[in-house]
Amino acid sequence: MVLANIVQLWQDAWPAGLTMLALGTGFAVVLLIASIKLKVTVDPKIEQVHQALPGVDCGACGFAGCAAYAKAVSADPELLGKCAPGGAETAGKIAQILNIQISSSGGLVRPIVHCRAHTDDKQFYAEYDGIMTCTAANAQPNVQACNFGCLGYGDCIRVCKFDALHIIDGLATVDYEKCTGCGACAKACPRNLIEMVGFAQENMMTVACRNRENPKTTRQMCRVGCIGCKMCEKQSDIFKIEDNLARLDYERYQPSEQAETAMSKCPTGVIVYRGKSAPTPRKSAQKPVAAKE
Amino acid sequence: MAKKDNVRAGQVVGDVDAFVSAPVHSPVSGTVKDIALRSHPVLGRTMAVIIDTDPADATEKSPCAGQFGADFDHSAYSVEQICEAVRQAGIVGMGGAGFPTRVKIEPNPRLPKRTLIINGCECEPFITCDYRIMLEWTYQIIAGVKLACKASGCSRVVIGIEDNKPAAIETMCKALEACRGCEHIEVAPVQTKYPQGGERQLINSLLKRTVPTGGIPPMIGICVLNVATCAAIAEAVVTGAPLTHRVVTVTGEAISKPGNYYVPVGMQVADLIDHAGGLTETAAKVILGGPMMGLAIADLSTPITKTSGAVTVLTKEAIYKAKYEKRQTPCIRCGRCLDVCPENLNPTKIAHAVKNNLLDVAADYYMSACIECGCCSYVCPANIELTGYIKTGKLLVARAKQKVPE
Repeated sequence: MVLANIVQLWQDAWPAGLTMLALGTGFAVVLLIASIKLKVTVDPKIEQVHQALPGVDCGACGFAGCAAYAKAVSADPELLGKCAPGGAETAGKIAQILNIQISSSGGLVRPIVHCRAHTDDKQFYAEYDGIMTCTAANAQPNVQACNFGCLGYGDCIRVCKFDALHIIDGLATVDYEKCTGCGACAKACPRNLIEMVGFAQENMMTVACRNRENPKTTRQMCRVGCIGCKMCEKQSDIFKIEDNLARLDYERYQPSEQAETAMSKCPTGVIVYRGKSAPTPRKSAQKPVAAKE
Repeated sequence: MAKKDNVRAGQVVGDVDAFVSAPVHSPVSGTVKDIALRSHPVLGRTMAVIIDTDPADATEKSPCAGQFGADFDHSAYSVEQICEAVRQAGIVGMGGAGFPTRVKIEPNPRLPKRTLIINGCECEPFITCDYRIMLEWTYQIIAGVKLACKASGCSRVVIGIEDNKPAAIETMCKALEACRGCEHIEVAPVQTKYPQGGERQLINSLLKRTVPTGGIPPMIGICVLNVATCAAIAEAVVTGAPLTHRVVTVTGEAISKPGNYYVPVGMQVADLIDHAGGLTETAAKVILGGPMMGLAIADLSTPITKTSGAVTVLTKEAIYKAKYEKRQTPCIRCGRCLDVCPENLNPTKIAHAVKNNLLDVAADYYMSACIECGCCSYVCPANIELTGYIKTGKLLVARAKQKVPE
């Protein structure tokens, strides 16, 4: 009886089974052909490079994220060293994976905010009550008397992925311990006050001002603005006055006696140290210069 | 120009070679005191030529409307003559945008113009300078219209005037009847509403045609000129005088003697306000332009420019009502901004995209088509500064396009 049932079942079901078999074989063949014809060769190195990157997708390299950069750097080793958060360490790892030599790069690239005016140092003509972002405020002329200095509404801190920037009393201040040098803040600042500078030492001198107004106007606008008095230029040749503003040649900067003298002689105290364990600048209040109407 | 140079009234003090540009002339005689950074309503701080007026040569320029009458004949001037005179006189659109007029009216074989629209609508509430010159400089405007019409090669002219100015409409119609060769010029009353004076809106009201999004009127064969620009064209072509003076409405509740003043370009706003009787004690906000689109100025030494049609001074109460009575609250999706947007955009979507730094989303909602009229901010019951956010978004897009920060 049982046997007869099995035979019966076989007789009823064999066309269905055969159909399934034929279909399966058919699809298998299609997949086989597709796997050969449409094969995408993935370079295992790209995956390794991606693993070696910090994975924060900050975009400092100029690509859409770490994956895009991994692909690009694998194709073009010239792009090595673009990863700012990873720095030299990551560059070394990638070089190892791609089996290339790395060129000896300079120091770390870090942002410098070219302003040192806190709320008390600034002058205001009127009260601003618009949208509280730097980009919006910067569209309003004379939102603060100085049209060059830090606005303090924090567009730079909003783009920082490393919590390395803070507005301290109306001034964007970099925390160099946390900063990875990705450069997002420099791109965000509508007044282009933040410059990415190669640091040869842990900290270095800078002229923390961008005001190009004539000296008299500058004094009326800000207590700590550069007045282009040429005092620093006389002390050290790394300083140069252009358009009423001292500029420091960062490439030639070395800690030196002359530079120290220039810093101490600056009447408005606009030359300061920036970087890790930077000496605190002397208080501007010690030498009040503006105050007069 | 250099320090201590002598300048005569009407002398060129600044010029560039770029095609879309216009020279700047000195409105007064005197000596150059300094070339230094000064406040500018749009650019913030920019280089300016500061001229000390010479008291010995204080010949005041007066309007030249008296020289024009019904018998003005434009056939004496060739197209090239008109275009060159307009360029030399440094005429720019005086309605507010300041686009060089020579570029607008010059014949362009790729974009032939057929219809000339004369904008006799005030761009914003509070402003009356165009109304006054339509009444007082009627024949000068008509002369300018004829010259501009000849230069641009248009065959039809429509003067659009808002229907709350019946006196202007009547004066203009009578003057046109008195003039010879004005058959192709017609006066069309349009509904009084804001923003009727925007060129895209005016074209739509008068001709029922739409300028394509992201396009300009010449693409559909139209050229739009402000009445003040027409008056300046007539003056430049006939007398050769450059554009150094303009009519400015000084208005607002916080001005002692509001009115329309004929002032030199470059005059400080503070001086103009003093001339208009000074500020009352309740003054709180000085705006260069009208209350909707004007630019608030923090520094009263900002000069009047060729495009500043008004100085509006608002009182504390007016600002309090608009701003502090109700602080900004979350968007309730009522859609009023969509109802009032003259460009049929979705301001709240764009503003929120900008707020959250999603510039590609904002671009998808045609952020660049926004004319920044301010209607959405005005009606918003949640007091969201929609126009402000859209303006900010445009700035961010412009910045992202620059590859390296300057």
